[in-house]
Amino acid sequence: MTTLWNVIRVNTKKEYVEMKRYFANTLSLLLTFYIIFLAMFFGIQVIGDPAEAGANTQFIIVNYIFWYFAMMTLQSIGWTVSDEAMRGTLEQLYMSPMGAWRILLSRLSGMIFIHFLIVILLLFLSMLTTGEWLNLNPAATIPILLLTIASMIGVGFMIAGLSIIFKQISAFLQILQFIIMGLTFVPLSVAPYLIAAPFVKGVDMTRQIMIHNYTLADFSISDYSWLIANAVVYGIIGVSVYLACERYAMKKGLLGHY
Amino acid sequence: MDSIIKVDGIRKIYKMRKTKEIFVAVDDVSFEVEKGEILGLLGPNGAGKTTTIKTICGLLVPDEGAVTINGFDSVKKRNKALRHISAVLEGNRNLYWRMTVEENLEYFAGNRGMSRKAMKPHIDKLLEQFRLKEKRQELVNKLSRGMQQKLAIAVAMLADTDVILLDEPTLGLDVETGYEVREILRSIAKKEGKTIIISTHDMPVVQDLCERTVIINNGRVIADESVDHLLQLFKTSAYQISLKEPITDEQQEMLKFEFPLHSWKGLDLQVSLEEEQEIYALMDILKRNHTPIETINRTEINFEKVFMQLVKEEAAS
Ligand SMILES: Nc1ncnc2c1ncn2[C@@H]1O[C@H](COP(=O)(O)OP(=O)(O)OP(=O)(O)O)[C@@H](O)[C@H]1O
Ligand SMILES: [Mg+2]
Repeated sequence: MTTLWNVIRVNTKKEYVEMKRYFANTLSLLLTFYIIFLAMFFGIQVIGDPAEAGANTQFIIVNYIFWYFAMMTLQSIGWTVSDEAMRGTLEQLYMSPMGAWRILLSRLSGMIFIHFLIVILLLFLSMLTTGEWLNLNPAATIPILLLTIASMIGVGFMIAGLSIIFKQISAFLQILQFIIMGLTFVPLSVAPYLIAAPFVKGVDMTRQIMIHNYTLADFSISDYSWLIANAVVYGIIGVSVYLACERYAMKKGLLGHY
Repeated sequence: MDSIIKVDGIRKIYKMRKTKEIFVAVDDVSFEVEKGEILGLLGPNGAGKTTTIKTICGLLVPDEGAVTINGFDSVKKRNKALRHISAVLEGNRNLYWRMTVEENLEYFAGNRGMSRKAMKPHIDKLLEQFRLKEKRQELVNKLSRGMQQKLAIAVAMLADTDVILLDEPTLGLDVETGYEVREILRSIAKKEGKTIIISTHDMPVVQDLCERTVIINNGRVIADESVDHLLQLFKTSAYQISLKEPITDEQQEMLKFEFPLHSWKGLDLQVSLEEEQEIYALMDILKRNHTPIETINRTEINFEKVFMQLVKEEAAS
């Protein structure tokens, strides 16, 4: 257990160090995010129904934050894996007796942790800019977020596995942005079947809390069942897909850059 | 004697993604390595050295055969096997170039589960040993090629495993740094009693460091001998004969027939003889047209020549 903690510690630190070293890069990403957000916000003011502008703004803030969070995490893991395979460091990760999946899990947790802090910052920035204050209620949002993140980690593992096998993953990662946008922006009331898609249920429940002031008691057993099932199923599928990819890569000699 | 590594009949086939052609990179390779031994894995480009090394590391699953490390199967008991080995696979490419020397060491140590406290004395010692202390805070991409190589070896040393595998550790280094890296490897081997496998086509490295060598060519083992023994084997039979005039075509034909492995360097004829007596047959051919001979010398043999000879013989057979 302490050894796993050490793996998590160094991987989180690595994410942090790289982000710091590329501070200009990080900053420009955040700025882009903020500018797009402003554009959306003013768009609502101009074309939207003024009576619903407040609710719409809140809706946008929550979705946009989730979109950013999921996209940053999932793209990062894809880029990291394909980049490291090319550079030659990936094989070195596979030389650890801890097993590469633990290292990847730690990478993912590190990325999630860091992006989560950034997202909170962005959240306050957005609320400050728009004057629309969401009901943050951490006691309710955090448990739901944790389960949502579990499903996100599952997807992260899938992407990591595919990135090992298909080295040219960048086109897919571009498309992924839009898929994630669909998953975070379309409410379940509009597309109920999306409940089976990764992290949609979690996003939906968070929206209920933040915009409609739900508390944990306001959700039904069925809500929780879907949320938990989603986390468990995507967690398991993700890790299995990843492990299958790993085995395949070792058979075909794909861990290196050959 | 205790073998710490057993490579047993491994075979690895690559299927080209585009052409669907199959390519046998390693074919029925077997050898063992004893505790504390330094083994040179030698072979020309594309011989299958890297494939063999990666299979030992468990990064590649062999299509046939198996590798055991300290009794652990490199595939089935991968994580256990990995406790005993570390590797420098691509030299400086095994590092994070955008992190500092120290950050790299800390990262890789942590990835093996080491705590900050446990890794500290290790890292200090390695920085000292590899003379990288002043470069501690330097980004890896600012280091010279040789220093990067040294750092990559230091990273492999961190885990303090019994076995270290090095794939072409002196590739792309200038003579001086190559020498320094060699010295480091020597001190590791001698002082710390580690088992080391070095794949290379840098002959001086083998001659200098290794006790034994496994030579592979076209994916097959063509020799598994102690370096001394190999050199001895060839010492008796290598001759260099300097002529004053070129030989005739007829002589050349005969030479080709009787000594297919001879070679020319200007007027210097190089032959290796299987038996001492063959020198008479050679003299016969030369005397035929009264070719004047300047000198006859036993060639100074070095490992490179032995190696080239073996690869040539293998190609001829
Ligand atoms: N992943 C791969 N896919 C397809 N072919 C490969 C792969 N890896 C190696 N090969 C081929 O297998 C053969 C053996 O390669 P290997 O890298 O083991 O040789 P090597 O002895 O290390 O050569 P070098 O001295 O060039 O490093 C080569 O012909 C190479 O082209
Ligand atoms: Mg090689």
